[in-house]
Amino acid sequence: MRSYIIRRILLMFPTLIGITVITFLVTQFVPGGPIDQLRSRAFVQTEGGSQAPGGGLKSMDNQLSEEDLKVMVAFYGFDKPWYVQYGRWLLRLARFDLGESFRYFTPVSELIVSKLPVSIYYGLISFILVYFVCVPLGVLKAIRHKSIFDNLTSVLIFAGYATPGFALGTLLLVFVASHMDLFPLGGFVSDDFEFLPTFWAKVWDVVHHSILPLISYAVGYFASMTILMKNSVMENMSSDFVRTALAKGSSYHRAIFTHALRNSLIPLATSFGNNISLFLMGSFLIEKIFNIDGMGLLGYTSIVERDYPVVLGILVIGAILTLVGNLLSDLCVAAADPRVRFS
Amino acid sequence: MRLLNFMHRNSKVDRERVHSSQNEGIQPRQSQVSNLSPITRRRIQRFKSIKRGYYSLWILAFAIYLSFFAELLMNSRALAVRFEGAWYFPTFHFYSGRAFGEDYESEANYRELKKKFEVSGHNYVLLPPIPYNPYENDFALQGNPPYAPDSRHLLGTDSSGRDVLVRLFYGFRIAIIFAILLTVSGYFIGTVIGAVMGYFGGWVDLLTQRAIEIWSTMPFLYLCIIIASIFEPTFMILLGILLLFSWINMTYYIRTEVYREKAKDYAVAAKSMGAGHLRIIMRHLLPNSLVPLVSYFPFSVVGGIYSLTALDFLGYGLPPPTPSWGDLLNQGLENAMNAPWITAATFTALVVTLLLITFIGEAVREAFDPRQFSRYK
Repeated sequence: MRSYIIRRILLMFPTLIGITVITFLVTQFVPGGPIDQLRSRAFVQTEGGSQAPGGGLKSMDNQLSEEDLKVMVAFYGFDKPWYVQYGRWLLRLARFDLGESFRYFTPVSELIVSKLPVSIYYGLISFILVYFVCVPLGVLKAIRHKSIFDNLTSVLIFAGYATPGFALGTLLLVFVASHMDLFPLGGFVSDDFEFLPTFWAKVWDVVHHSILPLISYAVGYFASMTILMKNSVMENMSSDFVRTALAKGSSYHRAIFTHALRNSLIPLATSFGNNISLFLMGSFLIEKIFNIDGMGLLGYTSIVERDYPVVLGILVIGAILTLVGNLLSDLCVAAADPRVRFS
Repeated sequence: MRLLNFMHRNSKVDRERVHSSQNEGIQPRQSQVSNLSPITRRRIQRFKSIKRGYYSLWILAFAIYLSFFAELLMNSRALAVRFEGAWYFPTFHFYSGRAFGEDYESEANYRELKKKFEVSGHNYVLLPPIPYNPYENDFALQGNPPYAPDSRHLLGTDSSGRDVLVRLFYGFRIAIIFAILLTVSGYFIGTVIGAVMGYFGGWVDLLTQRAIEIWSTMPFLYLCIIIASIFEPTFMILLGILLLFSWINMTYYIRTEVYREKAKDYAVAAKSMGAGHLRIIMRHLLPNSLVPLVSYFPFSVVGGIYSLTALDFLGYGLPPPTPSWGDLLNQGLENAMNAPWITAATFTALVVTLLLITFIGEAVREAFDPRQFSRYK
């Protein structure tokens, strides 16, 4: 068991290196990086400067000379070949240093830590919400398979599956928030959050802001988790050990809830680990729509503005979370299912 | 306590597989519809018996069929013009205003012509049911666009004065063709790679698995945005970008199927008779491993439409002025207060389409699932 975990952790390193090398290479060939941005900004400013009346201070204008550009290129480390840059980045990563953001000139780790609470808040709540609704619903649907209840909830669930979260978010924002004015238009808290009189007013403010995004976050997961739960209960209900339990005279209720249900939780354990990264990293589409300043939005804006250290930092954290999540899934399965042995 | 519909799961699966492999031996060519193997016929029968999915398939097929005639249904060009005794069919042909006795060189305005001819009486214009095309900016109304729904534009216009209904319909055709092409080509690549992994196993399998693990951990929408910001995305480039990632899932399923099939007697027999790798894979293993292709197809189409709409929504998808659902959703968000009809119409179109495909997918999955659950009551 311990050697299995160690081997899995060791196997993560080649994967991590592969992912970051590919991303690093991509950043090398993408135009619009910080140097390009400096150039275009300097160009715009010189244009403006030459048109200004009495702009005699030519030496003071912001035109970048070739030497200045070289200094900037060296500052960003772009004068070295990509593998040297990559090596440096990797060495820093080994010391848990993700570098500095090109945009804000603050350490990437600080930036990420500052956005993390918002994402964890949304991730955790949708996580709990999804599991608390899906497990009972899935069990109920399995027990009442092919009943009116089952068919009705199936239609609802498929409707949920067929609704992209960002489309639902747009719909809710346009109608429920803008037209009915029932919810705030976005953000994590109100602008006057600091001055809210009581603790409960603050709590309500956060909850009030998060209802619409949470619905949009969770809508896609409800379907897959409920179906997963239902199928797994169905499968166990038709298994031999339930038949044996019934044959021995155990009640139907008891056979389902003590025998079938426990075994049905195994596939849920598998998805548990996989969902960790999804929930923590957020969905940048929904964060963008509701203007929530979380990890998803940070990742998106850093891609758009070519803030490579932040892009790479988020990528590394996301990849580690995914890989650890996969490992956790396997361990959860082993814990829940004694038949699983690691070799 | 009654035993309902009990059938042991594993024995059922095995019987199915044996069936299909036997049939393969007896009737090597089964391309005719009437020659479908009994198991395929039973699956189709089961699919038909699931009414929700079966009717969804008909509705969707009809919508796709209609969308191929979009130019005849929603277009600013007339279907037919009777002018001075001659017939003109302008749907796929440019006629300037002069051709119909007007004094301008630009394309004839058939809506104006119709009004004019109706007054004069003897010439005739037959317009499509909705006489607007998806690129046309209709500024003839009072005030600034977006215009609210009225008899002229049934679902209103977007912020450039283009008819929302027309753009939704053309956008539907683009989205569905895009998603189906993406799925088919992704499945092709995935099947080839998955079959190679499953058949050869060993180091090939291990190395490819590592590579796939790396590739699948890459955040795919991020990469799409980066690539889309370098190249001006056209339909084919966007298809290529999404194809980079859409093949991955299918390799898992095909790999497992081929892995299982190659250990069976018929595969070993073919090998012992001297069949080559390619022949074993193509003629023997793949035909017996294609169930996942069919049963996941609808869900992959849903995924394709989702990805295209999301990229369009962010502005990294098809270039404007291509009619697209994502673009319409974005406009709806930007005009949240003054044009709610854009969001309402687009959301409905998107969700209804995806829901139909989901119903089909669920029915297909159920029809192809060899597991029959027994119930003890």
